[in-house]
Order: sequence, then structure tokens, then C-alpha cells
Amino acid sequence: MWGGLWLAVAVYTLFGIVPMIGNIVISFTDYTELQGAAVHNVGFTNYAQMFSTQAPGLEQGLVATAVFVVAVTLGQNILALLFAHKLAGSSRLAAVGRLLVFLPIALGVTIVGLLWSLIFNPASGPMASFFGLFGIHSAFFGADNWAMTLVILVQIWMNTGFSTLVFIGGLRSIDPALYEAAAVDGVGGWQRLRRITYPLLAPSITVNVMLALVGSFTMYNLIYVLTAGKYGTQTLGMLSFNVAFGSFEADLGYGAAVSVLLFVLTLVVALPMLLALRRRERKLLT
Amino acid sequence: MISDKRRPGRRRRLGTIAATVAITGAVSLTAAACAGNGGTGASGGGNTLKLTTWVNPPAVAVLKQINAEFEKANPGTSVTLNTAANVNGPYQTLLQQSVNSGSADIVTANTPLLPLPKKLNNTNATPIQLWETNGQFADLSGQSFTKDYTSSALSAQTYQGKVYGLTSGEYQEGVFYNKAIFSKYHLSVPTTYSQFLSVCKTLKSHGVQPLYTALGQVGSPYTQFLYYEAMTDLWYPKAPGGNLANAIMNDQVKWTDPAFVKGMSEEKQIAQYLEPNYTGINWQTMAGGPFAAGKAAMELDGSWDLPSIQKANPKLQAGYFPVPFSSSASANQAYAQNDLTFYVLKNAKNKSLAMKWLQFFSTPKIYAQYVNATGISSAQKSGTFTGYASQVMGKWFGKGVNQTTLYPALSPSNGYYDQQANWADLQLEVMQGKMSPQQAAATYQKDWKG
Repeated sequence: MWGGLWLAVAVYTLFGIVPMIGNIVISFTDYTELQGAAVHNVGFTNYAQMFSTQAPGLEQGLVATAVFVVAVTLGQNILALLFAHKLAGSSRLAAVGRLLVFLPIALGVTIVGLLWSLIFNPASGPMASFFGLFGIHSAFFGADNWAMTLVILVQIWMNTGFSTLVFIGGLRSIDPALYEAAAVDGVGGWQRLRRITYPLLAPSITVNVMLALVGSFTMYNLIYVLTAGKYGTQTLGMLSFNVAFGSFEADLGYGAAVSVLLFVLTLVVALPMLLALRRRERKLLT
Repeated sequence: MISDKRRPGRRRRLGTIAATVAITGAVSLTAAACAGNGGTGASGGGNTLKLTTWVNPPAVAVLKQINAEFEKANPGTSVTLNTAANVNGPYQTLLQQSVNSGSADIVTANTPLLPLPKKLNNTNATPIQLWETNGQFADLSGQSFTKDYTSSALSAQTYQGKVYGLTSGEYQEGVFYNKAIFSKYHLSVPTTYSQFLSVCKTLKSHGVQPLYTALGQVGSPYTQFLYYEAMTDLWYPKAPGGNLANAIMNDQVKWTDPAFVKGMSEEKQIAQYLEPNYTGINWQTMAGGPFAAGKAAMELDGSWDLPSIQKANPKLQAGYFPVPFSSSASANQAYAQNDLTFYVLKNAKNKSLAMKWLQFFSTPKIYAQYVNATGISSAQKSGTFTGYASQVMGKWFGKGVNQTTLYPALSPSNGYYDQQANWADLQLEVMQGKMSPQQAAATYQKDWKG
């Protein structure tokens, strides 16, 4: 048993802790990954740059990240809860519904990106025709006032299936006898939801909220496929990628500094959120 | 009341907190720091030459043909071609991996060596500039095939007297136009700014889409089809020493120069004639989209797309002219940039085979095959080229103000609008009317670090 534990610790250290420390170290250098280019310790220069000359990039990144994280975390969980409520049953229709809801996550980011780019193609996409009926014409993923909303919707569409399954698992773990007892006692539907379903679903809510929160903080691949971070969609994750690996750049030091900032932000938001959700779970379950 | 017998204790909570700290840390840091996968990383060896380039379909296709002919001419050898898309990063990653790991013998790039930043360092130089100045590429100076190339092509890749890259040619940017549509509406090729606007206006009045370009998935960098030309026609002619790039970098001129401001004002006017929602339309439609289908009269593009346009519609009769920003016809020149440049890695496993391949590539027959297929204009001193691009470009084929004397070295990490990646954002803002040309010029100047 201990052997397995140490193996897990070793793997986690090698692929989790070491890169994390390496990333922090790189953020204090002008490392470019380029063969032959000397590496220099630049102290806090990358961080200073981030908060001074790079201000437009950072400001936009912070705002975009905040909007994306809040909208995705809320939207994904609310929608998943509604789906789970309707699809938790054992009927064939519910099974088909579960399959359809889960399907997007199985498609993968590239296919999802391509699919939605075609759907919202401003020249010939079906959504362009649909909105055209109302006199609305837009570049969609190429428009400042649409791009972020659409990216959020696609992210929610893609990941709601997973959250739904977690909620369904939570709903199915609730002992039906509790509902039967409540019904015998004449407890109404709203009270059953409030007094039975909601408290017992709390652990699933914690899991789903944390996964959506951390996932949306660090997500960049879907944005990369849909907009490449243009038109107001450059979250901090995307900014970090673009600076370190974009078409014109190889500034890994600065990219690492952005990712360290992203790490700190994720921690500052996710940790209190986790504690609050755990506290809430205990309160509801006692 | 519902009780929970599994209520976690303090130790368990601390354990949960610690685990969460570690997991969120690892997830966020590694996700933010890791990039997509590019090259194969396979090592070379034997008689297999490894060549790395980006995806430009006509160039990839002709390079494959040339490789096959090379293999035929050199029994026992083989050439593998490794590619990745050149938009938004994948090729940059593949290129870096190829050079760092030595998994290629020849790599290619289209980012220029010149002009170099005044004080070159890791954060203000492009990867190619760092590699060339750090001796990562083999010196080609003594190779016999270099004698076939023009001095300007060689000097564009020369650092401290050594030639580190073989420039295969130049691409021009500007307007491709549909000759049949121009003929139908009795339009002449415009040579001045007012004539150009007049042509656009006439086409629009007949319900024809005047201009086409597409920025979807690539964003503001493709505004280059206008801003390079604006700088070429209006600002470059007044540059001290005939080198605008150096004049900007030496602060002899400022970004607030009236010529540059005027250029941006005109860009905004021209943008009114682009198709609706051009920022959301996929850039890949430029090669075989509405222009090739005869649904747009003109397209802002680069000559690298001409072979693909021809493939999409072999019957299309197209012509070319530089976007005229000046009221003086003689000031309106084409803009040109050195493109696909070959570099042999200094520590290439098959260096002699790589030199042999470049020698083979440079022979008149093979080089003409390459030029005719790609639409690039020749970098060799002589030769006869009869490809589609040479026909479309006409008198402009191989002509133009080169990027190395026009556009300064922008940094990967100086001020925000002093970076190659962000510079074009303001151009798009001006074109969309979100910022005035004066405001944009002032922002460039404020952010400029040289």
C-alpha cells in the first residue's frame, strides 16, 4: 500500500511540483528556450513590466478573466443542475438526454471550436442568417461586443455535461426513502427540494463549483481555437500563452510571470471558496 | 434534521486545504505554462535530411516535389518534411523545438533578421535574431550556390560578414483585382488614392463588393495589407537616408509624423469598402473564397495566396496593383517582404546533405519550379519565371519597398504597443473608428522604446 502511495507522490512531484517550481524560477529570468541564448536573472523585472508598461495587456487580461470565470462557473452549474433534475431518471429518454448533454465534452476542443466558428460564420453561418432576420449583423467571434459572450457560451456548452453527470450522481445517492417519508409527512415539493435535495447535493455542488472555477481560471485552449485571444477574450491564461508561445514571441520569462499571477489569483479565489463551500456543506448536513 | 456521521475532523480539513493548495497550484501553473505540441522530436541520422517549415500549401507541395527529385538524383538519401500552421503560434513552437533539440537539419522562417534592435537582448529580439546572432546556424558564405543570389537577398541574412540564411524570395502585398469585373464597369487600374476610392465607390454603387479581406482567427495582424502600404507610399519617401525603419529606431522621426497619421486616416476610409464583418470571417477564405469565386472585385492580400486563388478558380483573370495611398502615382510603390528563408543548423546531423539540398534547390530548373509554384518573386540574379503569380503581378513582380528598410524592429516585450503582437491592434481600432489616427499615433509614440 505504501509503495503505491510513494509512487503517486513521486509522479505528482515530478509532473506537478517540479514544473510549478521551475515556472516560478523562470519568471525571474529572461529565459527564451532558444538554443544559444544566455539566461539572465532579471529579478522582479517581468513582474514590474506586467504592472507598468504592459498595463493594457494585464488590465484586459484581469477583466476578461474575471468575466469569464464568474459567468462560466455560474452558468455551467445552474444549467447542469437543471439538466440533472430532468435527466436523473432511468427512462430511455433520460438516458438519451444524458448522452446528448455529455457529447460535447467528448468532441474535444478543436472540433468544438471549429463547429462553433462555422455556426457563427458571419458570412454564411446559420446564426448569421438567424440574427439577420432581426436585422442584427455582427462579426460574432470577430466583434468586441460578442466574442467574450460567445466564448463563455461555448465553454458552458462544452462542459455542462460533465457537471450534469456529477449532479446526477449526487441526486441518485439520495435515499428515496427520505422523499417517501417526507411525502407521508405531507411535505411539499419546494420543501423537499430545500430540506432534502439541496443539503444532500451540497458535496456535488462543491465539486462542480471548484472544477468550473479552477478550470475556467486556467483555460486557454478553447479561446485559442475560437479567437486566439483577440476581441476582448485575452484572459490571463491566454495572455501567458501568447507571450510565451505566440507567433512573434518567445518570452518565457514574462509568460511565466503572468502564469504565476494567474496561480496566485486562482489560489486567492479558489481556496476561500472551497472553505466556504465546505463550511456550508457541514452546516446543511447537521 | 439530517446528521452527517462522516463530518471531517480538523486534521482532515487541513489535509483538504493542503491538497487543494497543491492541486490548484499545479493545475493552474502547468496549464498556464504548457504549450501545444509541435515537432516530432525525432533525431536525424544516416542519409535522411530533415526539413522543417510552416503550412503554406503551395510551398509545401512544391517542396515535396523537390524533395522527391532530390531523392531521385541522390540514390540512398531521403528527405522528410515536418510542418505546422504558421498562425497564432504552432510553427513557432515547432521551430524552437527543432532548433533546440537538433531534430531538423534545415529550418525555415519568414521573420527578418534586419533591422536588429539597437541593444539586442533576450527580450527585445525575435527568435531568428537571437539564433543568428548567437551562431546557431551554419555560415553559408563559402557555399557556391550563394553566388546565384542577389546581394540584397544575401545581405538580408548577413550578420558580422557571415551569411546565415538563404532567402528564397520576396512576396508582395497589395490589391488583386478581377479583370472581368473591372472591364464590365469600365474601370481602370487606380494609381492614386482618389482614383482608388472612386473605383471602390463605383463598384459599391453597382452592388458589387469592392474589397475583400478576412481577419477571423488571426485578428489585427492582417491589417498589414493596408498599414505597410500606407507607410510605403506616404512616409517612406520622406525618410532620412531612404530607410524609414532606421529613422524610426534612431528617433529621427516620430510615430506622430503627419504622413503616418494621414496614412491611418486613409486606411479608415478604405476600410469602409471591405465586406461587412470582415473581422469575423476566417482568414483562410482569402485564398479560395469570394474573390476567387468572382463575388468580390478586389482582395487585399499577399502574393503567397495567388497559387491557391488560381487553384480555386483556374479561369479567374486577376491583376495586381499596390494600394495607392498617395495622390502622386509615382510615390505609390509595392510593399515586399523576404519570405521563406532556409537555415542550416550549425550542429545539423546531416550538414553536408543539407548543403547539397540547398545546392540542388538553387539550380535554375528547380528554383524556377519553386518560384512558379509558390508565387514568390525571385531572389536569384537571373532566371525565367512564367508562373501564375508573375502573370498576375505583371510589372510589379519582384518590385517593391522591402520590409527591412520600412518597418522597425518591434520587441516581444517592450511597451504594449511596441510589441509586434499588439502593434496592429491600434490599426484595427482606427479602421473601425474606435480611435482617431491622432490618438493612435500618440499612443505609439508614448509606448515607443526603440
